[in-house]
Amino acid sequence: MDEEYEVIVLGTGLKECILSGLLSVDGVKVLHMDRNDYYGGESTSLNLNQLWKKFRGEEKAPEHLGASRDYNVDMMPKFMMGNGKLVRTLIHTDVTKYLSFKAVDGSYVFVKGKVQKVPATPMEALKSSLMGIFEKRRAGKFFSFVQEYDEKDPKTHDGMDLTRVTTKELIAKYGLDGNTIDFIGHAVALHTNDQHLDQPAFDTVMRMKLYAESLARFQGTSPYIYPLYGLGELPQAFARLSAVYGGTYMLNKPECKVEFDEGGKVIGVTSEGETAKCKKIVCDPSYLPNKVRKIGRVARAIAIMSHPIPNTNDSHSVQVIIPQKQLARKSDMYVFCCSYSHNVAPKGKFIAFVSTDAETDNPQTELKPGTDLLGPVDEIFFDMYDRYEPVNEPELDNCFISTSYDATTHFETTVADVLNMYTLITGKQLDLSVDLSAASAAEE
Amino acid sequence: MSSRRRVLLKVIILGDSGVGKTSLMNQFVNRKFSNQYKATIGADFLTKEVQIDDRIFTLQIWDTAGQERFQSLGVAFYRGADCCVLVYDVNVMKSFDNLNNWREEFLIQASPSDPENFPFVVLGNKTDVDGGKSRVVSEKKAKAWCASKGNIPYFETSAKEGFNVDAAFECITKNAFKNEPEEEPYLPDTIDVAGGQQQRSTGCEC
Repeated sequence: MDEEYEVIVLGTGLKECILSGLLSVDGVKVLHMDRNDYYGGESTSLNLNQLWKKFRGEEKAPEHLGASRDYNVDMMPKFMMGNGKLVRTLIHTDVTKYLSFKAVDGSYVFVKGKVQKVPATPMEALKSSLMGIFEKRRAGKFFSFVQEYDEKDPKTHDGMDLTRVTTKELIAKYGLDGNTIDFIGHAVALHTNDQHLDQPAFDTVMRMKLYAESLARFQGTSPYIYPLYGLGELPQAFARLSAVYGGTYMLNKPECKVEFDEGGKVIGVTSEGETAKCKKIVCDPSYLPNKVRKIGRVARAIAIMSHPIPNTNDSHSVQVIIPQKQLARKSDMYVFCCSYSHNVAPKGKFIAFVSTDAETDNPQTELKPGTDLLGPVDEIFFDMYDRYEPVNEPELDNCFISTSYDATTHFETTVADVLNMYTLITGKQLDLSVDLSAASAAEE
Repeated sequence: MSSRRRVLLKVIILGDSGVGKTSLMNQFVNRKFSNQYKATIGADFLTKEVQIDDRIFTLQIWDTAGQERFQSLGVAFYRGADCCVLVYDVNVMKSFDNLNNWREEFLIQASPSDPENFPFVVLGNKTDVDGGKSRVVSEKKAKAWCASKGNIPYFETSAKEGFNVDAAFECITKNAFKNEPEEEPYLPDTIDVAGGQQQRSTGCEC
C-alpha cells in the first residue's frame, strides 16, 4: 500500500470483481481489497467446514458427509441465463477461458399444487400438462407472437404498441387463464411479483424472448447454465482478468477504512496503518454502512441431500419457481438445486436452496412451502440477511456502492447493477456485443 | 491426424514476486526474455505441446498474474493442478526461505488426494546474475531442502540465458503425467459458452 491508484475496490463479491476486471482492461490503475482471506464476499462458495463454521459455529463438519473440499456451496445461488447479460459479459471479456459450464437440467414452476416443467415455445406448450387443450392453443398463439415480435418491424406488432399496452391487456387479447398468466409472468419472464401486469408489456415480451433465446442457445433442457465448482468461480475468474491487466490484489485486509477530505470527497483507504490514495471507491454495502439504507431482507435455507428434488425428472440441477399468488405472498419463492454433476458436492450429494424476500421474522416457517418440495434432507440451515442500496451521491463523494444481491435465481438484476455502476464510474456505456479479445486482435 | 492419445496437463508456477516465474514461462513457451521487470502484467496461462518418446503432452502453464504479491491467489487457481513448480531466486535468500510457505499453501489450497506424493519441482533461477557472484543460496542447501521434502527434483536455471529451462520442463511434464489419474476422471458434459450460436458439434473437425 502507501501508493496511488485511480480506483480502489473493496470487497470481492461478483459485482465488485466484474467492475475490477472491466476497469483494469480499460487501463485504470486498480487496487482491490477484501477483509476476508477468500474471494467472493457475500457471493462466495463455501467448503463444508466453512459452511459449518458459518451456520453451526463449529470448526469441523461430520465425517459422513464427505471431504470438505468437495463442497462448493453458493451463498447466493443463481443460474446464468444462456443468452443473458452475464454470459455476454463473460464472452465480452474472454473470462470464459478460466471457467467450465454445464447446462442446467430443468426449469420448473409450482402451479396448481404441482411441480411442472416450464414450456417456453409453441411446441413445448402443446406438450405441457400445465394447460388444457384449448388453453394450449391460445398459449401457443401467444408464444408465437412473442417469438416473432421484432421491435423494429411493425408487421410483427399485431397492431399493438407494446410501450403503451399493458401486460394484462396483451394477455387478455389472447384469452389466457390465471394459471397460465402465473407461470408465464414468473417462470418465463421471471418477474418477482405481479406488478408487471399493470406495466407496459414491452419488458415482459423481451424477457420472454430472452428465455426462449437462452433455451435455444445451448440446445439444453432449460435456459440456464451453471459453472463447475459453483458460483464462487466467477468472482475469482474476473479477479484474475483484473490481475492480468495490472490490477493489484490484497486479500485478508482487516478494517478497510475509507478516508475523506474536508469536502466529503474520497481520498483513500487505510488498513493496518497504511493508506493507499485513490480518486474513486467501488465497494459492496458492508464497507460504507453509513452511505446505504436497508431495503429488505432475504430468507434462505440451504440443504444437503442424497437425492434430486422429487418430481423434477431426476434433475441433477434444477430451478423451481413458486409464484407469489400460489402462496398468497407478496414475492415469489425460489428453489434451486445443484449437485455432484456440477462438482459442488461429493458423488451422490445434492445441494438445495430455498430463498425469498422475507415477509416474516421466521425463515423456517416462511420457507416451508419451498422446503416441503425438497423431500428428506441430510442437513439444513436457515438464515436471514439484510439487503441494502446506496443513498450517497457518487458525483459528490466519488463512492460507487453496489446494491445487495436479491433472492432471485438468475443474474439479470445483478449484471444490470454492474453495468449501471460502470457507466456512473467511467461515463461510458459498455457494448456487450463486442468481443474484447477479437477487438484487440483487430487492432494488432 | 495422430491417433496417439493427447494428454492435457495443468502446471502452476509459484514463488515470491520477482524471482522470474513469468520469464521462465515465456522462455520455455516463446523463447523470449525481457529485462524490463514489472510485477507481472499481462501474463496469464500459456500452452505448449511437448513430445516425450512417442507421446504428445499439452502443458497448460499457469502464471500467478501477480496475485501472489500480497498472498491473494484464489482456490480456483490451484484446482486441478497436475504439478506444482516452486521458483526461487538464487540471489535472494528470502525467496528460498519462502519455498516452504509456498509448498504448504499449495497443499492447503489444492488439497491433493495424495499429498505425500504430489509432484513438485523446484527451480533455482537467475543463476546468470553477476556471473554467479551475487549468489547467496548454495546448490547444496537447496538440494538438501528438496531431499527433506520427499526428494523433490531440483534444477538451476537462467530464464535470461535459457539455461536448463527445457530440461526442467521435461521433468515437470513427466512428473505431472505420473500424477494423472489412471482411470478417466468424472468429466461432466460441459458446454462451450464462448462458441457462437451453432449447435455443439459431436464430430471430429479434422
